[in-house]
Amino acid sequence: MRARVVALAVLAVLAAVPIWVGDRYLAHIAVMVCLMGMLALSLNMMLRIGQLSLAQVVFMATGSYGSALMSMAWGLPPAASIVLAGIASGILALMLGPLLLRIRGVYFVLLTFSLAQIVNLILQDMTGVTGGNGGLFGIPRLEILGIRLARPETFYPYALALLVLSFAGAMALYRSRAGAVMQSIEQNEDLSRSLGVNVLAWRVGIFGLSGLLAGIAGASYAHFIGFISPASFTFAISVNILVINVIGGVASPLGPLIGAVLLVPLPEILRDAQQYQLLVYGLLLIGFLAFFPRGITGFLFSRSPDANQERRDT
Amino acid sequence: MRGRLCARFQQLYDGAYGMSEFIAQIVVNGILSGMVYVLMALGFTLIFGIMRIVNFAHGELYMIGASVVLVLYGMNGVNYFVAVALAALLTAGIGALIEIGLFRRFVKTELNGMIMSLGIAIFLQAIALIVLGPAWQAVERPITGTWQFGGIVVPFDRLFVGACALVIIIAFYVFLKCTRLGLAMQTVAQDSETAALMGVGVSHVSALAFAIAAGLAAVAGGLMAPIYSVAPYMGELPMLKAFVVVVLGGLGSIPGAVAGGLIIGLVESGFASVFNNTAALIASFAIVLVIVLVRPSGLFGKVI
Repeated sequence: MRARVVALAVLAVLAAVPIWVGDRYLAHIAVMVCLMGMLALSLNMMLRIGQLSLAQVVFMATGSYGSALMSMAWGLPPAASIVLAGIASGILALMLGPLLLRIRGVYFVLLTFSLAQIVNLILQDMTGVTGGNGGLFGIPRLEILGIRLARPETFYPYALALLVLSFAGAMALYRSRAGAVMQSIEQNEDLSRSLGVNVLAWRVGIFGLSGLLAGIAGASYAHFIGFISPASFTFAISVNILVINVIGGVASPLGPLIGAVLLVPLPEILRDAQQYQLLVYGLLLIGFLAFFPRGITGFLFSRSPDANQERRDT
Repeated sequence: MRGRLCARFQQLYDGAYGMSEFIAQIVVNGILSGMVYVLMALGFTLIFGIMRIVNFAHGELYMIGASVVLVLYGMNGVNYFVAVALAALLTAGIGALIEIGLFRRFVKTELNGMIMSLGIAIFLQAIALIVLGPAWQAVERPITGTWQFGGIVVPFDRLFVGACALVIIIAFYVFLKCTRLGLAMQTVAQDSETAALMGVGVSHVSALAFAIAAGLAAVAGGLMAPIYSVAPYMGELPMLKAFVVVVLGGLGSIPGAVAGGLIIGLVESGFASVFNNTAALIASFAIVLVIVLVRPSGLFGKVI
């Protein structure tokens, strides 16, 4: 428990740093940490029910394009279009869920992988709506309570609030009865079913929630950067949020946050040497899988219960 | 789409060549590119059959094969065929090392094995970026000229690649069906525990299977290097193709990989000629979607 409190305190201090410093560049990185952290949390929900989804990037894309188009074509204020696009992404997940989530294991990964590829190709091909590979320019900036969040320093509190909200939501979900059901689905599906749990409905519900989260993160991203193109929604995003989860650790909702804080700034630090950034990514992923398969949080948090267990055993 | 299709056919009838030549050209192109897909898919499906691992690093093995050919043949003037053979051997060695060092611990834990393969793919790409740089580099064509037959045009180098692929596919099939090692490999794919009880050295067979799969991918890369160019990212598209082919044919099925490769080659060639390459890719992923949803075992796989 103490390790968790310390980790949360460290994260809280880190979250405050960009506000104190007020540096534009630092704030930009901090916003990306928050948005990627949300996407990683949305994948974390799926991993928790034992489904490795490579389709979270699809909901990120529908959120992004949906909100950008609603604000550009219909003139909706971004604050409204982000919410609407997020909900639309969640509904899309709920609609796809019954079809996709009947499939399990490797085949589910293949299915979501193919879906993400198709959606990206369609974004490239539908030049009339999405602007094709050229993308969408001049997406309006987000405005909340009359304050225009055009600069990274002003956008950061909003992004941080979103992340904290998502984290608190995920935490509440995992700790509730629903969390126990999720765990039972992951650990023994047949047993859960025999106890009267409608496994498919639960999976679809979680998928919908994760789609909502990814959609809102994607929509916020569109209004933060002001430009989106299919190149922002590739397999690389799916891999990144997976690496964040693996390195942070899947078993705790703190895992994706710690992973995001460690990994998202990496491309910025190694900006002039992209090849080394890729190298570090690959080595971290291989190293963690081989030596710490439960990630940083698994390593930090599970030691004390194990020690207790040993004490009891001896 | 509809308008484009009509325009395309109109163009055909106005043009110098007729409908039958158009279709024949599509078929020839489809079979020739299908053969390369088969080379990639055989290794991909072999690894899945033996180790239940979806190898996302397969495209990088293809890229390593092409890069070795670039360095040996393109930069240092080694004989092309020697370069391809060396590329295959070297990559096979790398494959065996990867299997022994990294994959072995994930046998039968599908998801972590798959994530590990992603890590290896990223790592190998980074190494290639550091060694070769990000630019596309051309490799001089060892074979030039085209063969014209009726209205069909076939470049000699594509024909050569297709022929090489065919020979290797047949050799691989004979190896699998007629040698002790090949049979051992098949038994491990069917049931590794029973195979172990029968005295098959499962770990040796796995390492060998990975080496063969890597070698096949490297040959494909080496053969294609002069036709396309060489770059660290070149493996991504062939990996996707192998992936589509293997899901269509059935994960782990060898006949499925052959049939799937030819089908995907033909479908793609048709879509690419009538529409465009993006439409062809969308079509092939749509096939995967339908197959996984309706019949996850693919055309030739065991029904799970």
